Amino acid sequence: MIRAFATGLRVHLVHLLRSPFDLVAILIWPVIFASIAYYLIGTEGSTRVLFVASLGAAMMMLWSQVIVGSGFSLDQQRNQGTLELLVAAPVPLVIVIAPVMIASAAFGIYGLLVTLAWGRFAFGIPIAIDHPVAFVVAAVAAIVSIGLLGLIAASLFVLSRAASYFGVALQYPVYLASGLMLPLALLPAWIDPLSWVLAPTWGYRALTHASGGGGAWRDIGMCVLLSAVYLVLALPCLAWFERVARDRGTLKLS
Amino acid sequence: MNWLRVFFHGGLTSYRALFAWINPWIFLPVLVVYPVFQTVFFVYLGRAADVADDAFFVIGNSFVAAAVTGLFGMGQAIAGERRFQTLPVLLASPASRLALFLGRAVPTMANGFVVATITFVLGAALMGVTIDRAAYGGLALALAASCFACAALGLCVGSLTFRARSIGVFADAISAALLLVTGANVPLERLPDVLQSVSAYIPLTHGLHAARTLATGASVTDVLPQIRDELLVGAAYFAAGLLLLRYFERDGRRAGSFERF
Repeated sequence: MIRAFATGLRVHLVHLLRSPFDLVAILIWPVIFASIAYYLIGTEGSTRVLFVASLGAAMMMLWSQVIVGSGFSLDQQRNQGTLELLVAAPVPLVIVIAPVMIASAAFGIYGLLVTLAWGRFAFGIPIAIDHPVAFVVAAVAAIVSIGLLGLIAASLFVLSRAASYFGVALQYPVYLASGLMLPLALLPAWIDPLSWVLAPTWGYRALTHASGGGGAWRDIGMCVLLSAVYLVLALPCLAWFERVARDRGTLKLS
Repeated sequence: MNWLRVFFHGGLTSYRALFAWINPWIFLPVLVVYPVFQTVFFVYLGRAADVADDAFFVIGNSFVAAAVTGLFGMGQAIAGERRFQTLPVLLASPASRLALFLGRAVPTMANGFVVATITFVLGAALMGVTIDRAAYGGLALALAASCFACAALGLCVGSLTFRARSIGVFADAISAALLLVTGANVPLERLPDVLQSVSAYIPLTHGLHAARTLATGASVTDVLPQIRDELLVGAAYFAAGLLLLRYFERDGRRAGSFERF
C-alpha cells in the first residue's frame, strides 16, 4: 500500500508538472489575486499586511488546486478509461485517490513560491519569515490537511462527472469562510464556527503566525487534528460512493 | 438565405452540441454559484480595503461572469469542433466564415448576458446593493456591448485551437487577467500607468466604465461614448479573430494538420 501511495504521488506530480493548464493557472491566479490585494490595499498598507495577503493568495491557489485540479484530474481518468482500473486496483480506494489530492495540494507550494517572489520583485515586499522551521512544518501540515479535505469531495468525484464542477463552485465559499485575504470579523458571525472546521483557515493562520508573531504550533496542531477527522469522514464516504458507482455502472460514463 | 440558415441553425446546433455547461448540473455550479460567490468575496475584500462601494464590485464581477462565459464558450465552440474531429468538414464547406462564426458567437453572448444578469441580481440582493431602476436599460445596453466584445475575444482564443491542444490554458489565463486589468476589482486609477493604457484596448473596460457611470445616476446618452468604444474594441477583436482563423485555416490546409491532435 505504501508503494501504491508513493507511486500515486509521484505519477500525479509528474502529470501536473507536464500539464500546461495547471502550470499556467498556478502561475497566473495567485499573482492576480495578490496583485488585486496589493492595489486595493495600496501603499497605505504595511509590508506585513501585504505579505500576509500574499500568503492568503497562495492558500487560495492551494485550495483551488485540490478542489478543482484533482476533480478534473479524476474526470480525465474517466475520459481516458483508467478510472475503472484505478477503482478495481487491489488496494483500498483511499490509497489510490489520496495521492491525487495530496499531490495537487503539494503542487500549490509552487503557487506559494510564485506569489512570494512576485510580491518581492514586483512590489518590493520583503520575504520575512521569523520562524522558518515552523513555516515549513506549517506548509506541510496545510498541504496534508487541505488534501485530505479534498478527499471527502473526491468521493463525489468518483460518483459523477458533474461533481467535479461542484469543485469549481466550492472555491470562493471556502476562500470566504476561511478568511483568506480578508478578516473573518467582516463576515457574518455564523461563518465563524464554519471556519474552524476548514483546513485552509488553520493552514493560513499557521503560515501567517510562523512568518511573524509566533504561535504557529497551535494552528499546525489543528491542521493535524482536522487531517485525522477528514480521513475518518472520507473513508466511509469513499467506500459508499464507490459501491454506488459500481452498482450504477457509472464509472465509465463521461 | 443560405447565409441566414448557416447563421441560425449552425449557431444553435453548435451551442447545443458543444457548450458543455448547458447541463444544469454544470450550469448551476459554474455559471451561478461560482460568479455569485466571487462577487461576494470581492465585495468583502473591497470593504476591508475601503476603496470603493459595494456596487463597484457587484457590477465588476457581474461583467466578468459574462466575460468568462464568452471566452470559454466561444473558444470551446471552435476547439470542440477539433476535439470531435468535425473541424475539417466544417472548413471544407463553402459556407461564409462570417455566418459560421457570428452564428456561434450569438448564443454565447446571450448566455453571457443571462449569466451576468443572474450574478448581478443575486450579488446585489446578497450584499444589499440597490441601483435605480431607471439605470437598468442602460446597464443592459452596456452589458450587451461587453458580451459582444468578450465573445469576440473568445473567437481569437478559439482560433488558437489550430495550434494548441487545449484553449483552456489561454481562456483561463485571460479570464484571470480580466479580473485585474479591466478595473473589474480595482479602480483603474490605482493601477500602474502601463496597465491603465493596456486596459483601454481590452474588452470589458469601457463597458464597466459605462455601467458604473449609469449606476451613479447618469443617463444613457452620457455613456454612449463608452458603449461605442466597447463595441469598437469588440469589432476589432472579432475582425482579428476572423483573420486569425483564416490564416490558421490556410496554414492548416497547407500542412494537413487539421486532424493532428
